[in-house]
Amino acid sequence: MDKHHTTTRKTSRRAALAALLAATAVTGAALTGCGAGDAKDGGTKADGGAATARAGKKILWLGDSIAGAEAPPLAAALKASGVEFKNASSDGGGTIVEGDKMSAPIAKDTWKGLAKNIDAFHPDVIAYQITTYDWGSAEQQRASYEKLARTAQDAGAELVIVSAPPFKIDDFYKKFAGAIASAPKAAKEVADRSGGKVRFLDASALWGTDAGAAKAQRSSDGIHSCQQGSAAFAKWLTGKLGSAYGFTPAAPEKWAAGSWTSDARYGKLGCR
Amino acid sequence: MSGGTGPAARVAPLDGLRGLAVAAVLLFHAGRLGGGFLGVDLFFVLSGFLITGLLLAEAGRGRVGLAAFWGRRARRLLPALGVTVVATLVLAWAFGTPSVLLFALDDVPWVAAQAVNWHFIGEQIGYWNASGTRVFAHLWSIAVEWQFYLAWPLVVALAGRGRGGHGRVAALAAAGAAVSLALMLAHGDAVDTTRAYEGTDTRAFALLLGALAATAPLRRGFARVPAPAADGLCAALACGLGAAWVLTDGQNAPGLFRGGLFAHSAACALLIGLLAARPDGRAGRLAGSALPRRLGELSYSLYLWHWPVYLLLPDPVFALGGWGRTAVAIGVSLLAAQVTKTLVEDPVRYRARWASGRRGLLALAAGLAVAAGVWAAVPQPHPGAGSVDIGRLTAP
Repeated sequence: MDKHHTTTRKTSRRAALAALLAATAVTGAALTGCGAGDAKDGGTKADGGAATARAGKKILWLGDSIAGAEAPPLAAALKASGVEFKNASSDGGGTIVEGDKMSAPIAKDTWKGLAKNIDAFHPDVIAYQITTYDWGSAEQQRASYEKLARTAQDAGAELVIVSAPPFKIDDFYKKFAGAIASAPKAAKEVADRSGGKVRFLDASALWGTDAGAAKAQRSSDGIHSCQQGSAAFAKWLTGKLGSAYGFTPAAPEKWAAGSWTSDARYGKLGCR
Repeated sequence: MSGGTGPAARVAPLDGLRGLAVAAVLLFHAGRLGGGFLGVDLFFVLSGFLITGLLLAEAGRGRVGLAAFWGRRARRLLPALGVTVVATLVLAWAFGTPSVLLFALDDVPWVAAQAVNWHFIGEQIGYWNASGTRVFAHLWSIAVEWQFYLAWPLVVALAGRGRGGHGRVAALAAAGAAVSLALMLAHGDAVDTTRAYEGTDTRAFALLLGALAATAPLRRGFARVPAPAADGLCAALACGLGAAWVLTDGQNAPGLFRGGLFAHSAACALLIGLLAARPDGRAGRLAGSALPRRLGELSYSLYLWHWPVYLLLPDPVFALGGWGRTAVAIGVSLLAAQVTKTLVEDPVRYRARWASGRRGLLALAAGLAVAAGVWAAVPQPHPGAGSVDIGRLTAP
């Protein structure tokens, strides 16, 4: 357990005791008859310092809660590799696709948050993992990915788009299956036409394409990854980013079993 | 689940409705009744009806004693809650995974502050489908009721006094229910529906529709319905509610946040109003028959216990899975509820010698000491330890 979490626990216990005392006071009166953050993001921003000076890169991570579950080991792996990292993924949102009436309001929030993060963090690389909410026509998807590329360029950053892992298409996602399938194709087209300014990384090389297969490493919800899957993704993506931006990825022994494994989101997912 | 203590609370059919509501919730959480979560909505309407009836009766006698009201509520609800929470912490320590214990420790301060529904909204518990990892996930509804108990009596105390008090309270309840419905419609479209489902404001319409049914203008209306027609209406409403409980497919069912829950609350309020007006009619006698009434009398402790039992009981238990495990889980919950009612709820509620006066204070101090001791003794869990196999990561 890291220091931050221990402090939080102590504070929680004090708050609990105070609350219990308050509740007890009311009960006491009755007995005697007289009374008749987003922490998920802040916690994964790697320490810049000397390490950043070595690799000199700052990576902003965007996506939905699938990306959020991948963020803790990604932060640990990049920090160990001397790269500064900020997790700006969003649980229940995160898409940048200005598509249908469902995705457009989510995208509005993402774009607002992105502008703030660019101003505050000054990333060299913006890495966007395609979300489960990239709903819209292929044309709307292409237009939105191109807008993201322009935004990155204006901010002096390069853009990497990573395909989403395969996930269970349940009743909620069934009606968006077409958009979910077309999103990585649209992103690849944007990258192919960008003259090298946009990189597209096909994560099926890591996960495969079958959400139910062991290779996909999904948690019991069929959508997110637990610690082992997230660590595998961190190793894979850190390797790709290292090749592209000239830093040496740290060995998993240095980061894979760190305090990030106790992140609360894995508990929510029913992981170990 | 948490009935009143005055004469209105002893209407047998309403005790019976509590029993049916808790049975629905138990079956829903066991995965046996897709719409059983609507039982919580029925609890809310019942609470609004009973509490408002008591408060208006007091207002009619001159003045609402707010401190006494809150004292009675605390005496009725907090002892069983405190005992269940402390016992659940011990059980989570003994039988839960590190994550389950960690979340239990994190949630306890919010449970104690009667605000755990807002904590769960912040945690997006619905989005993550995470109630299976929180032994106190069900206590969101107790928090909603407590928040209502704090605010609504003030309104009734101010508006319910003097001539026309019932009418003013009825108008405020109706207006409040409409605002609450509007809030639910506004929040119901979100990807994460925890805000709509567990918000005090978005669920207030159920309590307020119950409150509306307890006012004199509505009660007079219910009393005017001829007996055979009242029985027929009750039968139709019960069939409609039963169909909703059977056919609704979980908390993400279409239409639930677009008026479905409101319609359910309204039907509950009508049924409660009619049954309270004619408790001795056919429908009243059926709803107030022995089994549902007994279950209703046990409903508060049963509600408190069932979810921790469901989560912490092994699966399979005694080599029993499926319905066998469900039966064992319900049996254990019933036993724990009966023990809690006999040893804690009833003695405190009816002021047994050990639970009143100086002895009561001593009992409270002892309970507090035990709670603090348990809190201090539970060791820090370490979820995630050993969850990553580095060999698998580095394998070619």
